[in-house]
Amino acid sequence: MTIVLFLVMIAAYGFGAFVALLGGRGPIGRWLVAAGAVIGAGAGCAFGAVVIISGQPFTLSIPELLPIAGGLALRLDPLGAFFLVVIGVGAIPAAIYGAGYTKAYENGRASLRLLGVMFNLFLLAMSLVTLADNVLTFLLMWEGMSLTSYFLVITESSEDGTLRAGNWYAAMTHAGLALLLAAFVLLMNGGAGAFADLRSSAGTLSPEARNLIFVLALLGFGSKAGIVPLHVWLPRAHPAAPSHVSALMSGVMIKLGVYGLLRVALDLLGGGPSWWGALVLGLGVASALLGVLYALMEHDLKRLLAYHSVENIGIIFIGLGAGLIFHSSHLMTLAALGFIGGLYHTINHASFKGLLFLGAGSVLHATGTRNMEEMGGLIKRMPWTALFFLVGSAAISALPPLNGFASEWLVFQSLLGGLNLPAPEIALTIPLAVGMLALTSGLAAACFVKAFGISFLAIPRSHEAENAHESPLSMRVGMMILALACVALGLAPFAVVPVLGGVLAGLGGLPDTRPVFTLDLSVHAPAGFAQISPTWIALGLLILLVLVPLVMRFMRVNRKLRVGDTWGCGRIGQTPRMEYTATSFAEPLRRVFAELYRPTKELSIDFHPESKYFVKSIKYSSRITPLFDRVLYDPLLRLVQRISRQVRRIQAGSLHLYLMYVAVILILLLIAARWF
Amino acid sequence: MNDALFSQLTTLGSSVILLYGFTLLWRKSLHAYTVAFQWQSVMLTGLFLIIGYFGHDVELYLVAGFLFILKVLILPRYLGKLEQRFPGERESRPYVNVATSLVVAGLLVLLAYAITRPLVLVSDLPTRGGLPLAVGLIFVGLFVIITRKKALTQIVGFLVMENGIALLAVLGTYGIPLIIELGVFLDVLMGFLVMQVFVYHIHDTFESIDVDQLNELRH
Repeated sequence: MTIVLFLVMIAAYGFGAFVALLGGRGPIGRWLVAAGAVIGAGAGCAFGAVVIISGQPFTLSIPELLPIAGGLALRLDPLGAFFLVVIGVGAIPAAIYGAGYTKAYENGRASLRLLGVMFNLFLLAMSLVTLADNVLTFLLMWEGMSLTSYFLVITESSEDGTLRAGNWYAAMTHAGLALLLAAFVLLMNGGAGAFADLRSSAGTLSPEARNLIFVLALLGFGSKAGIVPLHVWLPRAHPAAPSHVSALMSGVMIKLGVYGLLRVALDLLGGGPSWWGALVLGLGVASALLGVLYALMEHDLKRLLAYHSVENIGIIFIGLGAGLIFHSSHLMTLAALGFIGGLYHTINHASFKGLLFLGAGSVLHATGTRNMEEMGGLIKRMPWTALFFLVGSAAISALPPLNGFASEWLVFQSLLGGLNLPAPEIALTIPLAVGMLALTSGLAAACFVKAFGISFLAIPRSHEAENAHESPLSMRVGMMILALACVALGLAPFAVVPVLGGVLAGLGGLPDTRPVFTLDLSVHAPAGFAQISPTWIALGLLILLVLVPLVMRFMRVNRKLRVGDTWGCGRIGQTPRMEYTATSFAEPLRRVFAELYRPTKELSIDFHPESKYFVKSIKYSSRITPLFDRVLYDPLLRLVQRISRQVRRIQAGSLHLYLMYVAVILILLLIAARWF
Repeated sequence: MNDALFSQLTTLGSSVILLYGFTLLWRKSLHAYTVAFQWQSVMLTGLFLIIGYFGHDVELYLVAGFLFILKVLILPRYLGKLEQRFPGERESRPYVNVATSLVVAGLLVLLAYAITRPLVLVSDLPTRGGLPLAVGLIFVGLFVIITRKKALTQIVGFLVMENGIALLAVLGTYGIPLIIELGVFLDVLMGFLVMQVFVYHIHDTFESIDVDQLNELRH
């Protein structure tokens, strides 16, 4: 059964890539490419689900395929299977959406052939990362995933800045790979690198080596996941990539960083001292807060979403950090709750962030711009996209009964369980994390009021927005699947939580929590600390939002209906220039957090020559430079450039000089071989 | 008796071949280089025959034949054509002057002796006396390439270095397998033809075959 699904997955992705190689143009070509990806992702999803439900790992070893370091070894355990399901959840809608979205590339703006091949190979490489069972396979697939996604990022390479974004991505991801390589070499400790061997031998490593491995893995996987301060590639690469690729990269690929961290820290190393968890928690808090704060200042819709990915990865890391802290104190049920919160938020983020990126892609498709200041009034022109975007916005803002709420509630609950910690110095930092997480949630809601309100409501701010059109059916179907997933995952935590408990059972000594979190309509935190039922909340909201107005209507309470301009305020001549802008919406927060943003303002007023009371024009511009660009990356880049200029001196351009380098090196090597 | 003669002949042959390599350092006309290379190749052919005779290896006669055709007949003819195409080009101002060049080349040969000493000590080949000379010839060829400005000189330097490598191979192993030997000959021929094309291009671009002008191409 599983082997069939596995082969179908490989074959379908291969088929998709092959069709793309033949051209992949025209409606049939684009649909065949998408069909390969959809069938592959569907088979992967089913494959993962079978492994999770049966609890029986799938194993396949092909040592002949790569006759070094153990060859190609595959094994799908429930943890990997969960991430395979996440890939499926993100990839199926993205591929369907892509079939319509890539029509815009038919005019030769980008190579459909390259896009189709890389899209399918990217999905295949990601799927195989979750299946890898030795170091060689894991790193190969990891690098395959990075390379293919690099090509996807630079799809629109003729656009300004795309190649630059690609360079940032390539640099960050390869720095991460180097760290991972170091971590795995240390972990292998001279062995062949099968994960089973690593698991059993990790206990014999010295504490220093274990700490070093953990920190290297955290930074390596963190650069892929996009935690602060390694997040700089996200706001650059996500806007540059085609929207369905952004949805996949942000919704799914960065989650594999979470997978890697769980695999190494919890499964292979079997947990560690409590400062590991505190470090993960601290990075998570910093990512969540800084991510949302920078998102608030963005007016580029896709950059805004990219910063929100940083925020949500932060929330996931808060869950993992809490889990690791409790794990080190042997509070296993609480630890499981933290990990469950993190994993739940992982799949939730895959669905709502995928949805939001697809929605942003539809807007981009319709208006040709990513700048929110040029949108507005889209709700009347693209009602479906607006509805789906609203669902995604509500979900990411953690509003019940949608899925963001359920997982953030679990993360909160696990943090509140920190009162039970025996170590006071860590127990004291946990309330701080709770406060930061609460602030993050509030700011995220504010940010999506801005994103939705400015883009979709009011009257159009530009000619393009005025002439916007609804996206084609395939794109709407892609968004609808994810919107339904958001609702379903939000309404059914009672079904999801035990599954996640089963996924985590046995990893690093975690108990099977399925009996603790029972199949009830409500979710209980352990020890009767709290319980909540999103299903009942949903019912309540339904009554409040639908039944009450209906009853009022029925009772004829509010009979006078007036139709007027949106936000008309009784004015006669209403122009878009009178509207609230994204900048003005964010201005109060810009002032409150001025210490962090350090905005630079430029105001130039052109007065009328006759009187200062008449103004010809006012020009206002304000910029912020992100903190880590300023304090970390700019100095680093300058240093690299200075070193390269020094190195360039030996590149004098003289052929004789180069030949002399060769000769001198040859002679020095001969001398070294003779006397040393 | 036989071995002693063999040993003396190979050492003598290697020395003569090295001496022809030195010619490149103190002559300045391209014609002299061609002649030196031609005679060096003749000597190398002779050495192949000697080693083939004393080492009882018939294949080496065949290799010697090919070597003669390629390096004594074909390549000098092409070099001659290049000379006629660019008359007046002389290696008049090399980076390192003649006297210093000779001293440095002498030092390089000493270095070759020092480096090959362990090899010569453990070896019981009758041909071992020639090994340092072959390595020395490689160094001298490299030195010519580095310090001379004209593209033609550098080509000859490369060919001389290649002769050094062939000499080292035949002294050290009594001839590598025929198929590899043929591959190497083909490489040399191809390399030479490519370089010849480049010389024409360099001349078209700079109206000179001074390689040091290439650094104008630096970005």
